[in-house]
Amino acid sequence: MSEEKRVLDKKTVRKAYLDWMFWNLSVQNFERMEGPAIVKMLADVREELYPGDKEAQKEMLERHAIFFNTEPFLGSIVPGIVLGMEHEMAQGGDVQPEFINSIKTALMGPFAGIGDSLLPGTLCPILLSIALGLCKNGEIIGPLFYIIVFLAAMIPLTWFLFSYGVKAGANAAEMVLAGGLKDKVTKAAETVGLIVVGAVTASYTHVNIGLVYTSGELSIDIAAILNSLLPGLSVLIMSMISYVLMVKKKWTVNKMMLFFLIVAVVGYFTTILTV
Amino acid sequence: MSIFQALLLALFGWMSSIYSPVLMGGLGGWYTLGRPLVSGMVIGIILGDVQTGIIMGAAIQMLYIGLVTPGGAMPADVNFASWIGIPLAMVSGAGTEFALALAVPLSTLGVFAVYGLCAINLFFVHKQDAYVEKGEFDKAARIPIVGQITNIVLRFFPILIINYFGADLVTKLVEIMPVWLTDILQIFANMLPLVGFMLLMRTLVKKDLDLIYFVLGFVLVSVANLGMIPIVIVALVIAYLKYQTTEKEA
Repeated sequence: MSEEKRVLDKKTVRKAYLDWMFWNLSVQNFERMEGPAIVKMLADVREELYPGDKEAQKEMLERHAIFFNTEPFLGSIVPGIVLGMEHEMAQGGDVQPEFINSIKTALMGPFAGIGDSLLPGTLCPILLSIALGLCKNGEIIGPLFYIIVFLAAMIPLTWFLFSYGVKAGANAAEMVLAGGLKDKVTKAAETVGLIVVGAVTASYTHVNIGLVYTSGELSIDIAAILNSLLPGLSVLIMSMISYVLMVKKKWTVNKMMLFFLIVAVVGYFTTILTV
Repeated sequence: MSIFQALLLALFGWMSSIYSPVLMGGLGGWYTLGRPLVSGMVIGIILGDVQTGIIMGAAIQMLYIGLVTPGGAMPADVNFASWIGIPLAMVSGAGTEFALALAVPLSTLGVFAVYGLCAINLFFVHKQDAYVEKGEFDKAARIPIVGQITNIVLRFFPILIINYFGADLVTKLVEIMPVWLTDILQIFANMLPLVGFMLLMRTLVKKDLDLIYFVLGFVLVSVANLGMIPIVIVALVIAYLKYQTTEKEA
């Protein structure tokens, strides 16, 4: 018998990857969250892991019928690691069943945090802000830009993370969690994000001053004066007020919307603001 | 709105909801088709006015751009806001401000759908346990497929019904709206993007001085009138310079 361990073939890894990518949140629930998707993934490759051994297959599936929740895409490394370790154990490697679950549980939290802050918290909003800047008048290039760039980055990246998890097992997590890679990426993204958000704010937000001061023959258009100082000055001032209220004073979204509604009502009836 | 259009809206609306699997899970669904900007484009194609669809999608997108939906805790759901708010505003011939006014209550309705789904799906979780217990592994593997029915019911039908039957009602509502009310809504909607952007800036700004980057981006548009691509290039250059200086210090 060969000493060399049989490597999980690429076809099986791809099958498990697609299983995870499509079904991770399909039966989202309060009790197990993404747990049923892990069971599905392992059930679909059970014959590749434990050929013909129904007892071992059952043990494996029962072992994974527990709570699991992570960010599904950057966290796709975790189900990858689970598959890799299950395979190692099936090959008679020195892996205890409890160890697989404790690794899985230990990793889901950190990857949920990293995933949520990098994906919906950073990548999506920055790409969307750029897209918004491209379609001020409803040009189709804006949404198309987002679809193409986002998917062209994320599909290869999730495949890389998942298959790397399968290959490297528990060690794979270290690469992402250590090394300060996340800090470098977020720092650069923050700077780019702030500049882009400033740009999109200038193109989409309007605070139109309607106030005209008239005294006899003389009439002074306040909006024109403000604009001669800096185009869009009224918007910039309103941005700074919103910054203080929402970022510094941590006002909620609803409170902030109520504030703007009051500003709009008062501004309209005092003619300070106009459409 | 024709029944065919309402059906298409319901179909794509379901496909783009947070727990829909069909477009490679959330990757092509919730995070792509489910972004209001992309939803707006598709809604525009279905209703025959792509430009208006994108403009309305952009408005709703900005309101929710800083929104992160971590596991199970949904602060607001953009699915109904996009797939009901945009079509109803479009067919009634109202402006973007009307889509925004519809979006806010609809996003709360969407949150109820999420919590309802999470409770109902417990049934499928226990079903999967039973199949594993009985050794019916193929049936256990099919649970995430079968269990998607909850999501179909909670997304497809509300979008279909409210769009199809709501269109006339909303059109009448828009017709009787007085000018002062639409004006106030417009002034309100003009400031609304700031809500989403400031929510996003909670994570982007580490110290107050970082606001200088925001102001730079702002004047690049308001004063220099630059397009988005040159701005991104400027932003990348600055990020690179900043990275180089921190590397040297380290």
